[in-house]
Amino acid sequence: MSHSDQNLNLTLRVWRQDGPSDRGRFVDYKVNGISTHMSFLEMLDVLNEQLVAAGEEPVAFDHDCREGICGTCGVMINGQAHGPDNETTTCQLHMRRFKSGQTIVIEPWRANPFPVIKDLAVDRTAFDRIIESGGFVSVNTGQAQDGNCLPIPRQDQESSLDAAACIGCGACVAACKNASAMLFTSAKVSHLAQLPQGDPERSQRVVNMVAQMDEEGFGGCSNTYECEAACPAGVSVEHIARLNREYIKASFCSTAVPATKSK
Amino acid sequence: MSWLTGFLKSTVGRKFVMALTGLFLCFFLVVHLSGNLLLYVGGEAYDKYAHALHSNEEFLMLAETLLFAAFALHIVLAFTTTWENKSARKTGYRKTESKRDDRAFPLLLAPDYTMMVTGLVGMLFLIVHISDFKLEFGWGLEDMTPAQKAGLIVSDGTRLIIYMAGAIALGIHVSHGLASACQTIGFNHPKYTAGIQLVSRIFGVVVALGFSSFPVMAQMYPEWFQFVGTVTTGH
Repeated sequence: MSHSDQNLNLTLRVWRQDGPSDRGRFVDYKVNGISTHMSFLEMLDVLNEQLVAAGEEPVAFDHDCREGICGTCGVMINGQAHGPDNETTTCQLHMRRFKSGQTIVIEPWRANPFPVIKDLAVDRTAFDRIIESGGFVSVNTGQAQDGNCLPIPRQDQESSLDAAACIGCGACVAACKNASAMLFTSAKVSHLAQLPQGDPERSQRVVNMVAQMDEEGFGGCSNTYECEAACPAGVSVEHIARLNREYIKASFCSTAVPATKSK
Repeated sequence: MSWLTGFLKSTVGRKFVMALTGLFLCFFLVVHLSGNLLLYVGGEAYDKYAHALHSNEEFLMLAETLLFAAFALHIVLAFTTTWENKSARKTGYRKTESKRDDRAFPLLLAPDYTMMVTGLVGMLFLIVHISDFKLEFGWGLEDMTPAQKAGLIVSDGTRLIIYMAGAIALGIHVSHGLASACQTIGFNHPKYTAGIQLVSRIFGVVVALGFSSFPVMAQMYPEWFQFVGTVTTGH
């Protein structure tokens, strides 16, 4: 049996919380014979099958595509958002990264705007409201055109698409000591500000999105860049600097003011 | 809500003010250290500089007002934003570990994680420093030249500890602060960012070593520091 084919025996220290109002606590579980080829979520599936067989409540955790593109999964694994690998979501993290006998601490994303729904699942609708406040283009830009019809410099295209790679998982908030959503918000601001379709609304967009981000109760950015290191999509803090530029420009050089809420 | 109050209430706007005041204070540190280094040129050069500075009362008043305003804004915003940032996560983690692979220090000692602590130590130092040099509280410095005063104060044993602690804390503070301020005002560019980060670290070392050098040198070469004073007494 090669090293990578070994099976792992692990202790999982999992955050259990029955519902939003429950205080919650850590519970230790043993899982044995975990294949190193399993993903982290498959390992949690094994735990849950074990719990169901024993008549206990399975651990709630968010997941969907399980191929690293949807941004639904995400937990703190031994104090790191999405675990130890860079540019990797929890579903793409494999058990070969762990050693037999290890204790793994598994916690939900922690931030006031991300309240725990149950166990490891948190409510990330605060992100949806930030996008609703300006992360869009209001006009129909039609079908995809011939690439050369839109004269966009290549470096702008690339930078814009690098920002668009954000999958909205919330790891940036989870990893930030201030629970700041600046990387998430800046990814959308930067994505659209660099393209001609997003240009007409760039000032109003950034002003609205920052206002919504603040209203949700996320912290401010103190440039520790933990977000960038935790981001599974590799979104760079360059986009935070662009958001800062856009926001300062919009505030001082445009007529944009935050839209008043209708809720 | 006017656009300006909206801007100043937002997290990004307040960080912008933090950054501008921080950059201004960094500029002040450069000027301040340059003036201090004249002590190594000689007591006369230092006295000449001090007299030139203090004879221009309008400039001095403007500079002191700006400095006071910058310090006040920077400190007040530091407390309010830190408080808000802390309260954005009411329930903390059992375990946290950095995912950055370029960290030279553990998080507990990292400059970007200890801005509040280094800032506070710097502020406490500043109170002692203003009391020493501006108010000249408790020293009996009448009839002394600026160089003699400086020599006397930095030679004091308690000042060795206080001034060194202040200089090192401020050095650590600006080693993150300078680069951080540039990012906050939006100055991030593939051509310059690496350079800004390097300059920021070098600046931190220069501030820490530069300002600590005076009390340290005064302990190591007490006769030289007395000499700085006596040269000018002769005039």
